Amino acid sequence: MNLEKQVAATLFEVIDPELGVNIMDLGLIYSIMVNENKDVTIRMTLTTPGCPMHDSITNGVKHRVSQLDSVNVVKVDLVWEPSWNPSKMSERAMEMLGM
Amino acid sequence: MIAMGAMYQLVPVAFLTPIWSHKLGYIQFVITALGFSIFSVLLGLKPEKAIFGGILAIVGVLLFLIQMARTILSQKKKNKMTYFVLGALSSFFLTISAGFLLAWNLSYGEIISHQTILGSHIVLGVVGWFSLLIFGFSYKLVPMFSLSHGYSMKWAKSSFVVYITGLLLLILSFWTNFIYFETLGWILLFLGFLFFTLDIKEILAKRMKKKLDKPFIFSLVAIGNGLVIHFIALLFHMAGYQNPISWSWIIFLYIMCWIVFSILGYLYKIVPFLWWTYKYSNKIGKEKVPTLKDMIHESWSVVLFICFITSVLGLTVGGLGQWSHLVITFQGLLTLTSILYTCSIFRVLLK
Repeated sequence: MNLEKQVAATLFEVIDPELGVNIMDLGLIYSIMVNENKDVTIRMTLTTPGCPMHDSITNGVKHRVSQLDSVNVVKVDLVWEPSWNPSKMSERAMEMLGM
Repeated sequence: MIAMGAMYQLVPVAFLTPIWSHKLGYIQFVITALGFSIFSVLLGLKPEKAIFGGILAIVGVLLFLIQMARTILSQKKKNKMTYFVLGALSSFFLTISAGFLLAWNLSYGEIISHQTILGSHIVLGVVGWFSLLIFGFSYKLVPMFSLSHGYSMKWAKSSFVVYITGLLLLILSFWTNFIYFETLGWILLFLGFLFFTLDIKEILAKRMKKKLDKPFIFSLVAIGNGLVIHFIALLFHMAGYQNPISWSWIIFLYIMCWIVFSILGYLYKIVPFLWWTYKYSNKIGKEKVPTLKDMIHESWSVVLFICFITSVLGLTVGGLGQWSHLVITFQGLLTLTSILYTCSIFRVLLK
């Protein structure tokens, strides 16, 4: 499995504590980029601008990805554009939220 | 104190701007807590000396207002919530000023319009400060807790303008005794609340989270209560119903069923979040952490909220019917429920 896929798989373990659903299924991760030094840049958003879980979730992403042996430096870019909307959620997330 | 504390948490979230001075926050907390405590004790034991506690409380509140004004005015892009919260803060300033005049009068007795100031103080406090604050933050919290997207907030501006105008007209009617100001004031207050309710209804209709948390539902029920109580007050006024006992129960229901119930419901969401952030924020991604829902006992909250509703209804029926045994029974239930509620909030700190 290449490193992008490993990072993506790992992010399924980071749970949004308010919704109780992982951030991958919520569609909060926009892109995962790995360079030749194995530095990882994750572009992500949150469900609401100014979400009070801002620091907790972005730090959670950093901590979890940093635990992968092959990863060098982890950078998280939190963006509000494009804004998150429910269509970004997986069917599993929708199911978990009772939709 | 709860409203002020909640603002320290919610203002950065709602307005995307950091608190102006955290140090001032701690100083303000100590001064305000001492001020209100001393003021309350003196009001009960030595009303003629209450002015001294009042001055300390006012200093605390003024520091709070400076803190919030500096924080909110640094917001880059003002939004509709900003105006509700600024309206609430302005009302709070006027409430405190009127309260100071009342305390002055208790000490020195030089001001003749005591009852008029008292009426203005109550309306500015419960209608201006609390209601505008809950309106403003509900526009942020309801979509956040219900995961709502694509809503318009199309009534927010009308709600703000109409509600503020109604508030001012009602207060003006106390000072001028002009009945039409009062009538128009009650009509506008009801309409302002109705517009706010329409926006909340749309937000909920467009929510993604179909199964809402129980304490949050309690806050939403409080909005329905508020609308009904505004309507009853309007009806009472239109019917020329002047009985002061009935009006005092309207104020009681307004404070309990709208303001207190809103705050009780939201606190069940806010306190676990604060504690979770303090205790688990740095552990997310490193180890398994509880979700916010794990921090509270939701089924207990349902029992507590049912007890709150029952005790308020019982108290109202007992009070209106002047059945003292009913009043004592349901006041006892309300006290017991309040103690259990406080315990349930403290229990979060053990998680």
